[in-house]
Amino acid sequence: MRKISRLGHEARLGWTLVGPALSVIALIAIFPLGWTVWESLHLHELRMPWLGQPFVGLANYVEIGKDPRFWGALAHTAFFTVVSISLELLIGLFLALAMNRAFRGRGFVRAAVLVPWAIPTVVAALLWRFMFESEGGIANALLVDVHILKQPIVWFIETATAWVPVILADVWKTTPFVALLLLAGLQNIDLSLYEAAAVDGANAWWQLRHITLPLLKPAILVTLIFRTLDGFRVFDLIYVLTGGGPGTSTEPVALYTFNALLQNLRFGYGSALSVVIFAITFGLAMIYVKGLGVRLGGDET
Amino acid sequence: MVFLGACARNKKSNETVLTFSGSALGAEGTLVAKQLQRFMQLHPGVRVELQRTPDDANQRHQLYVQWLNARVGNPDILQLDVVWTPEFAAAGWVLPLTRFNPASKEFFPATITANTWAGQLYALPWFADVGLLYRRTDLVPNEPRNLGELVTDAKQAMARPGGPRFGIVWQGARYEGLITGFVEYLGAFGGRILDDSGRVVVNQPQAVRALQFMRDELYSSHIAPLDVLTWHEEEGRFAFQNGTAVFMRNWPYPVAAMSDKTQSRVAGRFAVSPFPASGEPGGHSTATLGGAQLAINAYSEHPDAAYQLIEYLTAPEQMLERGQVVAQYPTRPALYSDPRLRTALTIPLDDARRAIESATPRPVTPIYTELSEILQIELHRALVRQAEPQAALDAAAKKIDALIERTGMRKLMAGEQKPAAPTASSTAGRTE
Repeated sequence: MRKISRLGHEARLGWTLVGPALSVIALIAIFPLGWTVWESLHLHELRMPWLGQPFVGLANYVEIGKDPRFWGALAHTAFFTVVSISLELLIGLFLALAMNRAFRGRGFVRAAVLVPWAIPTVVAALLWRFMFESEGGIANALLVDVHILKQPIVWFIETATAWVPVILADVWKTTPFVALLLLAGLQNIDLSLYEAAAVDGANAWWQLRHITLPLLKPAILVTLIFRTLDGFRVFDLIYVLTGGGPGTSTEPVALYTFNALLQNLRFGYGSALSVVIFAITFGLAMIYVKGLGVRLGGDET
Repeated sequence: MVFLGACARNKKSNETVLTFSGSALGAEGTLVAKQLQRFMQLHPGVRVELQRTPDDANQRHQLYVQWLNARVGNPDILQLDVVWTPEFAAAGWVLPLTRFNPASKEFFPATITANTWAGQLYALPWFADVGLLYRRTDLVPNEPRNLGELVTDAKQAMARPGGPRFGIVWQGARYEGLITGFVEYLGAFGGRILDDSGRVVVNQPQAVRALQFMRDELYSSHIAPLDVLTWHEEEGRFAFQNGTAVFMRNWPYPVAAMSDKTQSRVAGRFAVSPFPASGEPGGHSTATLGGAQLAINAYSEHPDAAYQLIEYLTAPEQMLERGQVVAQYPTRPALYSDPRLRTALTIPLDDARRAIESATPRPVTPIYTELSEILQIELHRALVRQAEPQAALDAAAKKIDALIERTGMRKLMAGEQKPAAPTASSTAGRTE
């Protein structure tokens, strides 16, 4: 009897203590999300007040489902994410393995590798845009010099060539980050495992496949989560490099949403799009966490 | 803004305080401040505050829309881009000027049409901007009389030893500039985007021929470089200024820089003319109309004083001064025979007048921005050869129709159209 009332008292104290934190979370996370969902059920065009703000149920979601531009944007986003992350993981792993060796100036190399990652995306995108300019761009000059191209091409007017600077810029900029995450994972691997393998006569390739990669799995999956969610929200890089063009053939969902919400000021439709993006990223995170068994808490795998 | 608000509250009890927002950078800002000062001397009971707004049109538009949604009465006077007036009028954000009896006959008709929605005038044109055809006079002495001649002239000039690499450069990136150029080709072939009753006609044969012509410049006659499909105004100016292009489509703004021998290789060797017609029946020389208008905020507390200020700023004297000081084109035809303007504008007065007389507004509709976005995408798809011109324009027409449906435009036009335009209301309710 006495014990129960003390528990109740402690529970109350506990709630009181976490109360402020919970209300802050409610205010900055749950309330805006709830409002966005509510907004997404309305027709609300800031530039067309004559339409009023009627409740339209799921009409905005139906319009999204019927818009080929949205599905195109989704496909472009997925394409961008898969291609750029694959390259980043591959090159990042290579860099991480190299940086994990003991050599003179290792600290300097590790810091230097991070430089592209430290450059603001918009600045990096502008630099890449200059390099792929048809007139006087270094990409054309180099490719013509080595006879891969007969004459300079205009990179941004064909879908296939427009993706090249986009993917390259992202790989250039984000591989260091991936390498650093993987390097942290590599340093957690017990060196005695390699020594034992060497004693047993295992070569480097066998060691990589049977020791390094399995033990690196948690780090790889964490990297994948980070990069997939990042890739899915890609905006500034493409906004600067291609603007989503030619036509809308490199437009990602974030740019499409930006257009609806902030250019056309379609608050209802734009909110519905935001909810859809939220649902997709949330779903992706769930798949990684549940389906692939990532342990984010540092448990043993 | 907060500071200005505080100022407004400190006003003397009998003083009317107006806020004016408009281009306020550099020489233009100095001139506006001077003219506002003179206005206050003429109207001792009125004080005008200059409220700074972003110079970038998109940003200013977004800011205005936010303020007006919140029903803010400041600024009392809004500077509108030429394609915004119908949007603001239909939204009820700016006041109709009819009750002030504006002297609309004294302005170029196109500038009045662009500011008229549902039979009423909502803004007075402050200064005009028009699309022009620049040409190298050392290579092409006489202006081309039609588009066929333009192609021939360009080819001949390019074929000369040491001739420019490009025949013509225009704005072909996927943005508003692409529409301004397209409207000129469209007019040259006698096509339109919307007809007088608001029906979508952008997939009619004339429009398809206009788009095909632009495409042929890129892929068939090769007078336009593929690069233009990523270009805005400035890239074209660089090419023309460096002597690498025979013709250029652009606004009047680069004339001053290109006439400067220290930075331009074509100083004294270029001229402007209105964009030529195609030479096909129904086609006419067309210049896309741009420029700034002044309108009264519907939530303003002092609409009468606000109109007095607009009337003052758009009066011949102030407009002439604007032309003389910052070389902006007056919207009053009468000023083009004023000797004081003769040396002020950077291009010959007659060329300027001819261009403005052939000026055509882009579609005058409240949903212009979204209509333009649809068209930008489809035109760009056709120009980069992702789609055939007919297919691209059909797709654009279908989407614009859906846009008109979704935004209730048909009902709006049928309900609000005044008897002044009976053709519109009679066909606005048509079925597909």
